[in-house]
Amino acid sequence: MGYLRFIARNLGGRPVRTALTTVGLAVAVSAVMLLSGISMGFERAFEAIYRSRGIDLIVVRAGISDQLSSTLDEGMAGEIRQIPGVAELAPSLMDSVSFEGANLVSVLANGWEPGGLLIDGLTILDGRGLREGDGAAVLLGRVLALNLGKGVGDRVEIAGEPFRVAGVYESESLFENGGLVMPLGELQRMMGRQGQVTGFVVVAGPGTDPGALGREIERRVGGVAATPARDYVAGNIQLRLARAMAAATTGIALLLGSVGLLNTMAMAVTERTSEIGLLRALGWKRTRIVLLLMGEAAALGLLGVLVGTVLAFGGARAVVLAPTSRGFIDPNLSPVVLGVGLALGVGLTLLGGLYPAIRASRLEPTEALRHD
Amino acid sequence: MIESRSMEGAPGPPPLLRGEGLTRTYEDGGVRALRGVSIAVAPGEFVAITGPSGCGKSTLLHLLGGLDRPSSGTVSYRGRPLGELDLDDFRAREVGFVFQSFHLIPTLDAMENVQVAMMAGGVPRAERPVRARRLLEEVGLSHRLGHEPRRLSIGERQRVAIARALANGPTLLLADEPTGNLDSVSQREILDLLAGLRRERGIALVVVTHSAEVAGEATREVRLRDGEIVS
Repeated sequence: MGYLRFIARNLGGRPVRTALTTVGLAVAVSAVMLLSGISMGFERAFEAIYRSRGIDLIVVRAGISDQLSSTLDEGMAGEIRQIPGVAELAPSLMDSVSFEGANLVSVLANGWEPGGLLIDGLTILDGRGLREGDGAAVLLGRVLALNLGKGVGDRVEIAGEPFRVAGVYESESLFENGGLVMPLGELQRMMGRQGQVTGFVVVAGPGTDPGALGREIERRVGGVAATPARDYVAGNIQLRLARAMAAATTGIALLLGSVGLLNTMAMAVTERTSEIGLLRALGWKRTRIVLLLMGEAAALGLLGVLVGTVLAFGGARAVVLAPTSRGFIDPNLSPVVLGVGLALGVGLTLLGGLYPAIRASRLEPTEALRHD
Repeated sequence: MIESRSMEGAPGPPPLLRGEGLTRTYEDGGVRALRGVSIAVAPGEFVAITGPSGCGKSTLLHLLGGLDRPSSGTVSYRGRPLGELDLDDFRAREVGFVFQSFHLIPTLDAMENVQVAMMAGGVPRAERPVRARRLLEEVGLSHRLGHEPRRLSIGERQRVAIARALANGPTLLLADEPTGNLDSVSQREILDLLAGLRRERGIALVVVTHSAEVAGEATREVRLRDGEIVS
């Protein structure tokens, strides 16, 4: 028999305590994994909008924190196109609409030019794309079409106006899959924002540094911020909020988990004071006792992470399928997120186990043996 | 200071273990459990420590085995004070302990309980199960190797504890009321077992006991009262 077997027998021999500790830890670990995954999923979905189309710069009104609140004159497009290094440009008006009958609020509505680079980034699954002069035609994202139960040729009411579904598309971005696209002019008319857009997306020409191009656009066109796509995504207010929430939850889980585990480990050690006294009487060195107890803590941590990972994947599936979050949330349980969960789970148990283990190792054998 | 009677001027082999002027005072309550006790144990000797409850028998045994430190006085093993030795190594390799309440680990079976001692004694991992099996066969438990303590009788539990005490081939076996929880049949069996081990292995035995029968088996009896040796 060696350490590992001893640890396994100690944990297996106290199944209720082991199970309760594992479940407690698993809940904390899965909560952290799920929230971090949701935050990363947001980021991935947002980034995909730009990555999939090779967009280098986002141009919005300077000083705004959210693209939805940006307003620029559509006519700026010509001015920006003239700037050397701009290969492609597309205007975009972004807003949100609701479909209360389907319990869908804040559905992303994009107003794009037919044939532009934004629309070209979509894959038409059914029907066709938008054409010039389409009028009250709309493309539905795959998830939105599913949620509304609508298909090509169906009539759909948007903000009180009837639209005909011209096609159903799929995008690499979850946000776009849960949203809709209509001709830019239609959305401008509906929202009373004729001649206005929320921003422009720009593809830089070959060999052009997007950062330098952005600075040039800002210099030449007053009142705009031209930000490289990656920086724009990283600085997005919603993403920063999601990240902050995930970090706060991780912190709270860390605190609660530490306190709970410290209590559990301290109780587990106290219950076994006599056993630890025996080991000391048998000549086990203090470091050996600490190693044994920390080994048990690490094993509990690994068990907790294992169960927590299963719970996180189950939770992610539930979130994706739940009517209230379907199409908006797609947790990204990437290796990084799982690694964070692993480090957290094992780190917590080691932290929780350290003090009781050191305390137990310092007991004099006679003192410990009296605890029967 | 009174030294146990048979060591007074006794010729023969040098003591394996010697305690000189041992006192033990517990700070909480100021109880003086031992008051200047001196005792020597020769190799292969069977010493019974007797006396009424609370007279300091177990305290003396713990001091001799390096489980506790005396408030004053010294314990020497083969002429070297325990303070100069690595106490953990001393307990692991030179001494075997047997307790009245066995102190078996409930989650481990008999084989594993014996091997736990070997983990501290430097026995190579591959050799541990072989040696544990042999020791358990020696104490008559070849049919209970995979049994956890709760599935063993009281007498069998004490046999496992004895096998564990022998795990690292000690020169000294210290037993605190080893038959205190046993019926008369089991007590006789354990006594025979201890006597056989002493005879075959040449192990010195120091046994704390209330039992006249156990004391009668010893080569020497040390009587304590109020923390002092009285005869």
